[in-house]
Amino acid sequence: MISCKEATNYISQKEEGRLSLRKRWQLWQHLAVCTFCKLFYHQNKTLMKNIPHLHEHEEAALSSRQKESLIAALEKNI
Amino acid sequence: MVQLDAAKWVNEYGDMLYRYALPRVNDSETAKDLVQETFLAAWRNYDNFKGEISEKNWLFTILKNKIIDHFRKASTRLTDNLPGIADDDPYFDEKDHWTTASAPRNWNVDTESLIHQKEFYEVLSKCKGKLKEIQNTVFTMKYLDGLESDDICKELNITASNYWVLIHRAKLQLRACLEKNWFLK
Repeated sequence: MISCKEATNYISQKEEGRLSLRKRWQLWQHLAVCTFCKLFYHQNKTLMKNIPHLHEHEEAALSSRQKESLIAALEKNI
Repeated sequence: MVQLDAAKWVNEYGDMLYRYALPRVNDSETAKDLVQETFLAAWRNYDNFKGEISEKNWLFTILKNKIIDHFRKASTRLTDNLPGIADDDPYFDEKDHWTTASAPRNWNVDTESLIHQKEFYEVLSKCKGKLKEIQNTVFTMKYLDGLESDDICKELNITASNYWVLIHRAKLQLRACLEKNWFLK
């Protein structure tokens, strides 16, 4: 039986389609009996599915002071 | 010679570019500097701008290159101490089982709907901010920009085994940080 550390490594490789058939089988055997790794598997999957889209919620903006200093830097370089 | 209007550029594109850079470099000062370098490079090379793409897309192309340059520099600076990363492992004990403190816990919540709350993004940004810069770089290239691991290794000049350690550690750390600061808070 593979260890939890190996199992989580396999999960990362599986996510990128880089896990051999034999290792996938070993991973399923581990997940069948390990609650922690099963939780990790599902939580990680949900997070990694959603995280790539979340930065579209970024609302940060430059302060007016930062904008002024940007404008000044540009005008200096005309 | 085209007459360029600095204020118009900054007001029209500044926030847009900043918002693109910030989640990728996770540091507001660095993001601001990259935007400034982008404007300066565009400003100096405006004669080469052929108008085949929009001004906005042209600026984004320049910014993307600046970000990759920044990642490359960060990688040369930070890969020096890569061998040390694998040893310091707070997640697994000597038998490679989860330690009691870091074993995943059942969140018992509707994860998907909690992820789509606005506040989650703030917690995520903070958690990403706690990653080592090189981990965040690898994570960003993979998950925000959708690059393949082979290309990331090439760009950053790291080995495949370095990549797997970095990306995997980033995911372990992010999950743990989000569990503690959001899902079980």
